Amino acid sequence: MEFKDYYQILGVSKSATTDDIRKAYRKLARKYHPDVSKEADAEKRMKEVNEANEVLSDPEKRAAYDQIGQGYRSGQEFQPPPNWNGGFEFSGNGFSERDMQNHSDFFANLFGRARRSRAESYQVRGEDRHAEIVIDLLDSYRGAKKTITLRVPAADRGQMVMNEKTITIQVPKGVKAGQHIRLGGQGSAGAGGGPAGDLYLEVRFKPDPRFRIEERDVYETVPVTPWEAALGGSIEVPTPSGQVQVKIPANSQSGRKLRLKGRGIPGEPAGDLYLLLEIALPPADTEQARRIYANMAKELPFNPRLNMGI
Amino acid sequence: MTQNPVITGLILDQSQLSLNELAHACRVPPQWIIERITEGLLLNDPPPDLSTLRFNSHALIRARRMLNIERDFDANPELAALVVDLIEQLEQFRRKLNIAGINL
Repeated sequence: MEFKDYYQILGVSKSATTDDIRKAYRKLARKYHPDVSKEADAEKRMKEVNEANEVLSDPEKRAAYDQIGQGYRSGQEFQPPPNWNGGFEFSGNGFSERDMQNHSDFFANLFGRARRSRAESYQVRGEDRHAEIVIDLLDSYRGAKKTITLRVPAADRGQMVMNEKTITIQVPKGVKAGQHIRLGGQGSAGAGGGPAGDLYLEVRFKPDPRFRIEERDVYETVPVTPWEAALGGSIEVPTPSGQVQVKIPANSQSGRKLRLKGRGIPGEPAGDLYLLLEIALPPADTEQARRIYANMAKELPFNPRLNMGI
Repeated sequence: MTQNPVITGLILDQSQLSLNELAHACRVPPQWIIERITEGLLLNDPPPDLSTLRFNSHALIRARRMLNIERDFDANPELAALVVDLIEQLEQFRRKLNIAGINL
């Protein structure tokens, strides 16, 4: 287990006051806020910053951390001595109200503790947990089995450790981004025989260059030849629900939107699939191609800049 | 090797959360949720009878975001709701741009 230098993470000195720590935390919380940050590792950094703040803003935890961390550097191999925290009294099970699976092994080992026996005398429902699940658009069209790994705090000889737990879930057909899949009883264990909490998985779609998604509607760009766009005709188009035959209306321009009703994300009602036509020009890289273009220029008078007054 | 059992979940919007379930999911007392509903910060059109309230995925995400803003920045609920409004608008604009083929 690696030692974590919480002072270094927050960018404050060991003599920082509570106010210094609060200011440093807010500055970094703004920088790495997962909803707005453009930093590549924002989510990971935000977890570190939260954890560092959780320890350094709590006088008990900070005192314990200062005592145990004397002489250690960031990243150095670290093992706390047994019963090192005997003189400290942390509240609850040592974790804050934030999701426990976001904590590092270092934190869990130092500050997490198994629930005390007195807590077992009454029933308490386990805490709900939150995580994200990233799926392909096609998983939503068909439903899919997905295996995810979660970090779960567990008691080991009275001390908390972070274990990995792998679960396989059935992704329901028709789920869309921003929705939650609720898995009953997959949250934290209850106490005193109380039920476990639930696990909420927030759904996100893996970016796919072929498709753009708005609620249940799906947008797909379809390249067409100039003659398909001009003369119309039927073309084969691969869509999330399979290959379909689509009729291109004659005199279509680039950007024309064709709506395929009910072929978006399944649901009640299902979304629509929008095909955006994009005219692809054959390259004029052979003598024959250049001749055909030159012939068009001669035989097909056309001014695309007419509306510009030219 | 034993095969993990497949766990089937419910899509939250097909089976919405009660007030107590939302509060438990956010790790706040139900009163925290009620205050933000009555102040018009959490839901657009709260019904007059709060006991019949049911919450969807959007309400869960919004409540957790507001909670994080309030806690991280010692923000008052109105300011946290304003920040979350702006985040939601930003997401909406990003989706529209993405549909138009522009990624920011």
